[in-house]
Amino acid sequence: MPLTGWADRQLGELADLMARKTPLPNTGAELLGLRAKLNGFRVPGQVSAGGGCRLLPVSDGWIALNLARPDDRAMLPALVGDAGLAVYDDAALRQAVRGMGWRALLAQGRLLGLAIAGVDETPASAAVTRTMTGARRDGARPFRDRAPVVVDLSALWAGPLAGHLLGLGGAQVSKVESPVRPDSLRTGDPALFAALNGAKEQTAIALTRAEGRAALLELVRHADVVIEAARPRALLQLGIDADALVRTVPGLVWVTITGHGVTGEAGHWVGFGDDAGVAGGLSAALYRETGRIGFVGDAIADPLTGITAAREAAQQLAKGTGARIILSMSGVVARALAESRAADPAGLAADLRDWAAREGTPIVPIARSINPQSGQPAPRRAPGVPVPAVR
Amino acid sequence: MKPGTKLKSQVCDTEVMVIRCGTGRIECGGAAMAEDKPAEPGTPAEGLAGGALMGKRYVDAAGAFELLCVKPGKGSLAVDGVILSIKDAKPLPASD
Repeated sequence: MPLTGWADRQLGELADLMARKTPLPNTGAELLGLRAKLNGFRVPGQVSAGGGCRLLPVSDGWIALNLARPDDRAMLPALVGDAGLAVYDDAALRQAVRGMGWRALLAQGRLLGLAIAGVDETPASAAVTRTMTGARRDGARPFRDRAPVVVDLSALWAGPLAGHLLGLGGAQVSKVESPVRPDSLRTGDPALFAALNGAKEQTAIALTRAEGRAALLELVRHADVVIEAARPRALLQLGIDADALVRTVPGLVWVTITGHGVTGEAGHWVGFGDDAGVAGGLSAALYRETGRIGFVGDAIADPLTGITAAREAAQQLAKGTGARIILSMSGVVARALAESRAADPAGLAADLRDWAAREGTPIVPIARSINPQSGQPAPRRAPGVPVPAVR
Repeated sequence: MKPGTKLKSQVCDTEVMVIRCGTGRIECGGAAMAEDKPAEPGTPAEGLAGGALMGKRYVDAAGAFELLCVKPGKGSLAVDGVILSIKDAKPLPASD
C-alpha cells in the first residue's frame, strides 16, 4: 500500500520521542491495513474498501461522496436540488450529479454536512497547526521519568489510534465515552474497537449532566494530553473551552482531530477516512500514475492522522510546554504524499502502480498455516467468529 | 420549494438550507423567509426570538419540513406560525 514507508518513518520518530528502547510493535503497513485485515477488505476501485464512499464522475472531474452515516442519504435531494431523487438508487444519484460541476457540489455538500471531496481539490488546511501555546510544566518529564496521562475523548479510528500509540510508549490512557453516544465503532467494528482501545481504561461519563461535565473537567485538568475529534461548538456547549484549559493548565497538550482544519468555512466541513484521502490528493496521484480512478488505502486518512497525532503530541510533551494542536485529515494525507514523493518519487510511483494492479485482491494477503498431517492449508476462520485483538 | 434552496431571515442573520419541504410558509422570527436579504432588516416578533443554532436541523411535528441552519440568528424558525423543533444529532458512521 502506498505511504506505508512514510508511516514507518513517523513511527520510528514517535518511538524515539517516547523514549522507547525498542521499536513499536506494529509497522506502518500493519497499521494502515489494520481494518482491512480484520475485515478481509479488498483493494478498492471506485467504491471504498469499507463500502461507504464512492467516486462519481461529474461534468468537470470526479467527486468522492461518503454516505456512511444512517441519514446521509436524506440530504441527497438537497445536494442535487431534486425533491424526487430516489435516494437509495445509486444509478439515479450518478445520473443526477453527472451534469454538475465539482466545485458547486462540494460547496453545497459541505454546507449540508456531507463528507464530500473533489479529486482535484487542494486541501484547505495544513496537516498540523499549533493555534496556541501554554505554560511549561516543570518536574518529572513525561515518558522519561513518569507515565503521561492521556484522556481520549475521540471516536472511530484516528483519535483512538493516537491514544493507543501513546499507550505503547507507556502513557496511562483513559477512553471517555458518553453513555448516550458511545463510540459507534464499539458495535460497528468490535474487532477494530478492541485493537484500538483494548489496552485503555474505559469510562462512561454522562455529559448531559452537570456532575458529569464537572467530572470530565477534573479529568482534563489532570491530563498531559487530551485527544478529541468533536466539532468546536459541541465542546463549548458542554462547557469545555479547550483554549482556556491550555492557557490555565501548564503543559497540557490538546490534540484536536478534524477533517479539514478549523479555519474559516473548512472548520465546519465533515471528513472521514476515505473522502479525506481523496481531498488530500491520493486519487489524483493514482490517476496521474495509472490512468485509473480509485481509492488508495482503506480509510487511509484515519491511520495516517492517528500516527501523526501521536507523534505531534509526543513531540510537544518532550518540549514540556502546553499547546493546542489541530490536525487536518486531508492535510495529513497531502503532507504524507508530498513527503513520500520528495523522498523517493520512483518508489511512490511503483507503489501506486502496484496498488492499481491489485484491485479486487485482499488488501492484506491472508496467510494460511499448513496442516502438518494433510499438507493442506488450514480452513479459513468462519465468518462471525470474533477475531482476536491485534497489538 | 426545491430542496437545496437557501433561505434568509428578514428579521435577523439566520440562514437555512431546505432539506425537505411540504406545503406552508417557512418563517423566521414571525416573517416569511426569502432567497434574498431585505434592504432594511426588521426585528423578530414577540415570543419568536428563540434563536436558530448553527448546524442544527429543524423539523415540524408531521415530518414534512426539515431545515438545516447554515447561519445562526436570533429568530425562531417556524412553518405557518408553528415553531419547529431541533432534530437529534446525526449519528456517526459504524466504521468509516
